[in-house]
Amino acid sequence: MILAYGLLIIAGIVLLYLAFKTGDRRYIYLAVAFYVIFPVLITLNLPAEISPEVRQLYEAVDSLPDSSVVLLTFDYYPSTLAETEPMSRAALHHLFRKNCRIFTMTTIPLGGPSIAERVTRELAGQYGKVYGVDYVNLGYKANYVAVLKGMGSSIESIYPADNTGTSLDKLPIMKDIRNYGDVDFIFAVSDNSIIDYWMSIVNAQYGIKIGTGVTAVMAPRYYAYLSSGQMTGMLGGMKGAADYEKLVGKPALAAKGMAAQSLVHLFIILSVIAGNLIFFIEKRSRRREGHR
Amino acid sequence: MKTTVPIIIAFCSGFIMIITFFLNPERGFIGRLEPEVLNWVTIVGGFTLLLGVVSIVRINYGAIKRKSENRGYKLATLIAVFAMAIPAMLPTGMSPLLGTQPGSIYDWLFNNLDAPMMSTMFAMLAFYIASAAFRAFRARNTEATLLLTTAVLVMLWRIPMGEIFLNSIHHSLPGMINTYVMSGANMAVQRGIIIGAALGAAAMSLRILLGIERTYMGK
Repeated sequence: MILAYGLLIIAGIVLLYLAFKTGDRRYIYLAVAFYVIFPVLITLNLPAEISPEVRQLYEAVDSLPDSSVVLLTFDYYPSTLAETEPMSRAALHHLFRKNCRIFTMTTIPLGGPSIAERVTRELAGQYGKVYGVDYVNLGYKANYVAVLKGMGSSIESIYPADNTGTSLDKLPIMKDIRNYGDVDFIFAVSDNSIIDYWMSIVNAQYGIKIGTGVTAVMAPRYYAYLSSGQMTGMLGGMKGAADYEKLVGKPALAAKGMAAQSLVHLFIILSVIAGNLIFFIEKRSRRREGHR
Repeated sequence: MKTTVPIIIAFCSGFIMIITFFLNPERGFIGRLEPEVLNWVTIVGGFTLLLGVVSIVRINYGAIKRKSENRGYKLATLIAVFAMAIPAMLPTGMSPLLGTQPGSIYDWLFNNLDAPMMSTMFAMLAFYIASAAFRAFRARNTEATLLLTTAVLVMLWRIPMGEIFLNSIHHSLPGMINTYVMSGANMAVQRGIIIGAALGAAAMSLRILLGIERTYMGK
């Protein structure tokens, strides 16, 4: 397997050379396609250290007492499913295993409720959990700032019914959950800046512990909240999801995707180095010609 | 009138939220008004979605009627809007295929068309980034060199293969990237941006409440 991966890296270098020689960027696209598809066909499990912020989130969830109330958000669009869905799945494995009472919601109209519905029902089936008793999907409501703030007074006033239209007072799980005061932990998985509002409205004003799962592009922004102790752990991108999967003991989509991500990252680094080498060689030869 | 009424509404709504935030009058008149205001905001938010649908229909229908260029795409947009919206809005009681629950037309269209298409569009970024990395990311000056070096280090740090490579140079290198790059320089800059943006938002909110800022009314 190592040999196959070695050959793949050499193929990438050859394709990069061809791209330079011919000026045709399609060679680069072909190399990326190889690097994305190949690891899916032949999985390579690489050892990786668990990030401290992922461990922090895992330990925070793990230390919750049985039957704790946890709000899991699905604040992401289908475009980032590859990074965010593994986070939601790993979180659900952990929460269901701990017999937490889970209610899900989304601030994304396009697909959020459907993703939540599909993922939670699938995993709840594996753990024998019952809808309305062990978990519920509240769905989507417009204007997230008002939704986040309003749930502090009364969840029922913002969500009179769940995603399927069933009134909340008919769902046993919601009997003891009136507002944030009854929520033990919030696990917010998101691909957009809604995390800032979860922190500034819900954590800062109501004091609820919040752990997050965000895309790799967003993660650097939230180190400020981690360092101040406002955020209780974070899963950053596919690496964060893979780490959490490993901690939960359910390596799945993210763990598989890490090999592809590794290869593409290496190829991009190689491209940057090659591009700069060519740039400096050309610059030097132009300067020499200028002297003549 | 067109200006005065929105300014009064904006002032009153903002005033109620500020008072309830700072004074927390749970049982007072203002305290009871807070959830009402928030409910109204979600209702108005719902109507803005409807406004978006009306706007997309008006623009695309007009273009098709005028037989403008690319009208095929505009027709596809309209068909997609109605194919997703109509079955989703009809009550589940009429048929299990209606509504938004699993197994409905909306759910099938979302999971089998919408989600794969959006994921594909986003995934294409990887190809463009690789191409741009080769053709455009140049260490032309000190700032660009610093940026490139940091980017390469962080990219290596975020992948298992890179972690092995960094560990082979020095076992504490991955930890140093976390401490000095992500939790150091990056965090300091991000904190500055967050505080700056928050101050800007507070100033803008105050301008709206006092009626100085009127761009939200199209002025």
